[in-house]
Amino acid sequence: MSGPQKPLELILARNLLTSVTTPAFLVAKDGTLLFYNEGAGALIGRPFEDTGQLDLQEWTRRFGPFDENEEPLSFDELPLTKALREGRPAHDEFSVRSADGEMHRIAASAMPIVGAATGASGVMVIFWPVDEQVAREVTTGRHEVTR
Amino acid sequence: MKVRIWGARGSVPAPGPEMNRYGGNTSCVEVTLAGGERLILDAGTGIRTLGFSLPPDMPRINILLTHLHLDHIQGLMFFPPCFRAESDIRIFGPSSPEASLESRIARYISAPLSPVEVRELPCDVSFLDAPASEWQIGGATIRAEAVTHRGPTLGYRITDGDTTLCYIPDHEPGLGADLAALSEEWISGYNLARDADLLIHDCQYTDEEYPGHEGWGHSPITEAITFARRVGARRTLLFHHDPLHTDGFLDDLHRTARRAWQGLGGDPEQIGIAAERAELTVGATAAETPARPRIAV
Ligand SMILES: [Zn+2]
Ligand SMILES: [Zn+2]
Repeated sequence: MSGPQKPLELILARNLLTSVTTPAFLVAKDGTLLFYNEGAGALIGRPFEDTGQLDLQEWTRRFGPFDENEEPLSFDELPLTKALREGRPAHDEFSVRSADGEMHRIAASAMPIVGAATGASGVMVIFWPVDEQVAREVTTGRHEVTR
Repeated sequence: MKVRIWGARGSVPAPGPEMNRYGGNTSCVEVTLAGGERLILDAGTGIRTLGFSLPPDMPRINILLTHLHLDHIQGLMFFPPCFRAESDIRIFGPSSPEASLESRIARYISAPLSPVEVRELPCDVSFLDAPASEWQIGGATIRAEAVTHRGPTLGYRITDGDTTLCYIPDHEPGLGADLAALSEEWISGYNLARDADLLIHDCQYTDEEYPGHEGWGHSPITEAITFARRVGARRTLLFHHDPLHTDGFLDDLHRTARRAWQGLGGDPEQIGIAAERAELTVGATAAETPARPRIAV
């Protein structure tokens, strides 16, 4: 495909994520963070409108993920990388840092997005806080976004 | 490039005295290229009457199907060239991992829905997946891409010299998206329609009707007009009329769409509405082609 437009399956994935409160990211096959929804924005403390698209280095530096000792996790170990590399769903638990520096333990499931015409074009990563209280707040839209 | 409308109705044929001016036949558009070759866009019931107008010695007939909803293929079984041994017909359509284009169309052209089977047609007919990259038919470059509708659906971009036609009859680009605010890369159909000299686009509903039909795969006036504005279409032809919309209702819908376009800074003359048998000349040589709208996006 030539031209600036994204493949339809990514457009539809973004439209879906816009319409649900479940926190989720949309990542291109080169690792660029294309979009995250309001639920994800609530968890990391910054709405997508403030960050825009971020390349792989930038978003992993800002948000993590980190292991239990707050050490950065290797990109190769992330569910999204496995989903991209192996073309199958993947799941894991790790920590992310919100804009105010607070760490949140989350579980994440990554699903490859494979278009009819374009093949693998990205990954949708759905995640939720392991802390039940935070999970309730995020999915009901009561978790405060720190601007 | 010349464009002739043989069916502008969506969903189901809607004949009747109150539909006479816009017509009751479903989607079918004939495109005549500068070199004289003809393309047929969709095979709704309008293709039956189109078939009678074609010269019997036409060397090859190319039909580009956007998708296989019945309002886009129903006329195939009644297309006169299908029943002539000397016809050479090529039908392009969306690919599917599930079954070939021929076997998907054969679900309709087969018993008990049809008195004939595809294999019984005397013509030479081939069914081809629309290529993923651009391809040539006659002097034109064709591009097909998937667009937002229900089920796998293509839109087409046809470029002949410096003239471009875009045909997206079934399209709901505003579903779950704010078309006015989104960046271009996130708009379904953008690559197909940008800077088109003529955009033939879905406008099945008024804005008032749309809330009861969200997710059905079609656009209300505001979304159709906003899409046309975002892609920079030089002219737009509103298409795929709801079967409930009478001539008078469509006149009102057209006026509303023109006002909406004017509200965005465009010339209302650039917004047309498709009527059966209407013929348009498209491109730089078309004297009636107005200038591009001066719109700030
Ligand atoms: Zn239709
Ligand atoms: Zn349809």
